[in-house]
Amino acid sequence: MMNTKNALYYGIFFLVLTVLPFFLTSNWISVMTTFLIYSVVSLSQDIVLGRAGMFDMGHAIFFGLGAYSTAILNMVYGWPIVATIPVAIILPIIASILLAAPIIHLRGDYLLVTTIGFNIVFTQALKNNVFGITGGPNGIFGVEPLKIFSITFASQKSIYFLALFILLLTLAIIHNLETSKPGRALHYLNLDSLASECIGINTRFYRLYAFALSAAIAGLAGVVFTLQFSAVSPGAFNFIQSVLFFTIVLVGGPSSIPGVLLGTFFMFVVPEMFRQFAEARYLVFGVAMILIMIWRPKGIWPVKFGRIPNYITKE
Amino acid sequence: MEIFLQQLVNGLTIGSIYALVALGYTMVYGVLKLINFAHGDLVALSAYIGLVILMQLAGVLSPALLILITFISTMVITAIGGIVLERAAYRPLRRAPRLSAVVSALGASMVIENGIMLIWGPMPKIYPASVVPNINFDLHGVYISLMQILVLVISLVLMVALYLFVNRTKLGTAMRACAIDQDAARLMGIDVDKVIVTTFVIGSALGAVGGLFIGMYYRGITFNMGWIYGLNAFVAAIIGGIGNIPGAMLGGMLLGIFNAFISGYISSSWSMALTYVLLIIIMIFRPTGILGERVAEKV
Repeated sequence: MMNTKNALYYGIFFLVLTVLPFFLTSNWISVMTTFLIYSVVSLSQDIVLGRAGMFDMGHAIFFGLGAYSTAILNMVYGWPIVATIPVAIILPIIASILLAAPIIHLRGDYLLVTTIGFNIVFTQALKNNVFGITGGPNGIFGVEPLKIFSITFASQKSIYFLALFILLLTLAIIHNLETSKPGRALHYLNLDSLASECIGINTRFYRLYAFALSAAIAGLAGVVFTLQFSAVSPGAFNFIQSVLFFTIVLVGGPSSIPGVLLGTFFMFVVPEMFRQFAEARYLVFGVAMILIMIWRPKGIWPVKFGRIPNYITKE
Repeated sequence: MEIFLQQLVNGLTIGSIYALVALGYTMVYGVLKLINFAHGDLVALSAYIGLVILMQLAGVLSPALLILITFISTMVITAIGGIVLERAAYRPLRRAPRLSAVVSALGASMVIENGIMLIWGPMPKIYPASVVPNINFDLHGVYISLMQILVLVISLVLMVALYLFVNRTKLGTAMRACAIDQDAARLMGIDVDKVIVTTFVIGSALGAVGGLFIGMYYRGITFNMGWIYGLNAFVAAIIGGIGNIPGAMLGGMLLGIFNAFISGYISSSWSMALTYVLLIIIMIFRPTGILGERVAEKV
C-alpha cells in the first residue's frame, strides 16, 4: 500500500528527476536517459525474477524485440514511430508466451540456462541478418524521431522526459500489480509454489502472466532505447546485458522498487562516473558485487512485506 | 565418409576439452547447488598461467619434461585459485539465499576476467607453435595429430581417475554424501568444508588441463574467452545432467561432436545458436538432462 510517507518520497524523487536535466550537460542527460530506460527494463525483469521468482536470464530478448520492431518497421517498411509502438509491445508479449510456455515448469537453474539459450539464439539470429531485415552485426541506424501530432521528440531533453514518463507509467503498473489479485498470486507462488497451487492458484497461468507483463514493459522500454540512439545493434541485447539486468535486481533487492532503482544506479551510472579508470573499474565492480552480497544478501534495499510481528518470523 | 570420420575426430577432441571444463561445473553444482560462473574465467586464467610457464621454461627443458612441468604447475596454481575463490566469494554466502551466491559468482567472474585483462592486456596472446611436435598420422584419409591424441588420452586418463576417486575412495564417498544431503553428511561426521574445498581443487585442476589444451590446440587465447568456453562447457554439463559426473563427460563429448558436425556440414556462423537450440530441446523433453535423475519435489 502506498502511504503518505511513501507518496512524499516518490514525489521528491520525481521532482528531482524533472529538474535534473536543466542542470546537466548533454552528455550526462544522455547517461541519465539510459539510466531511466534501464530502470524500466530492470523493473520489468523484477516482475519475473523478484515477484514471480523465476530465474529469467534472457530478459534482453524482450527489450531487443521492442527496439528492433520499432527500428525495422520504421526503416524497412516506413511506418511512423507512433504506429510501431503497439507492435513493439504486442510482439514481445507473443514471443514471451511462446517461449515461456514450454519451459515454464522447469526448476530454477534449468530455467536460467534455457533462457540464456534463448537469448544467445536471439542475438545470433540478429547478427546473421535473419530474413534480411535485421541489418546484421552492425544493426540498423538512422531511425526517425518520434512525432506525436506536431511535437517532435528529437532533442536529448525531450527523449529524457519521454523516458521519465515511461518510468512513471511502469511504476504505476507495478503499484497496481502489487495491490491486485495477480500480484498477490505471484507473491504466493514465489513464496511456495506448491502451497499456492494447493489453495487454488493457477500457477502456470500466473507465471505466463508475469512473463507477458514484463515483456510488454521491456518492449516499450526498447522503443525509447531505439529513439534515444536512433539505432539498434545486436550487442545491446546480448546475453551479457541480460546478466546485467539480472544482477541489478538482485543487487538492489528483489521486488523492492527503490532497491531496483538503486541497483540500476549502482550498476549503470556509477561505472559511467568512473569512466576515466576505464580499465580497472570492472575489477573493482566485481569485488563490490561480492562484498554487497556478503553484507546484504537480500540486496541493498530489501523489501518489507506487511507487518508480521518478529516473534512469528524468528526461528 | 572421410569428412564424417574427420569431423568425429575433431569433435571428440573439442568434446574432451568441454568435458574437462564441464566436470568443474558439475562437481561444484553437485555439492553446493551453485552455478560457479567464475569457473570459465578460471580456465582462461589457467591458459595464461600455462603460457607464462611455457615461455619461461622453453629451451631449458626437453619437450616432454616441459609439457609435464607446465601441466603440473598450472594445475597446482589454478587449484590454489579455486581455493581462494571458494574462500572469498562462496563460503561467506553458504547460508544466504541461492541467488545471492549467483551474483557473487558473477562478480568473481568479472574480477578474474578483468584481472587477466589488466595483467596481460586486452590483445589476444598466441601459444608457441611447437610445444607439441606437429606430427599428423594418416589413417586411411583421416588425419589425427599428435596434439589430438594427447588431448584424448590425457582426458580419458583423468576422467577414469576421477571416476575411480569418486566411487572408490573415502573422500569420494564423502563427496557423494554431501551432494545428497549436506546436513546428514555433517551428522555422520563428514567435514563438509573439507569436501567442498576438495571439490573446488579437483574442479579447478581439471579446468586448468582444459585451459592448457585450449591454448595448445587453438593457440590463440583472449582474456574474455572464459565466457564462451565456460558457457559451452556449462551447457555440456546441463545436457548430461548437472551434478552427475559421467553425465558431464557424456555431455561434453556429445556437444563437441555436435559442434564439429554443425561447423563441418552446415555453417559455423549458426553453430553457437544451434548448440543452444539443442540445449532447449533437451530441456523441454528431458528437463534434468540425459543422465540426470528425476527427483520428486520434497514437501
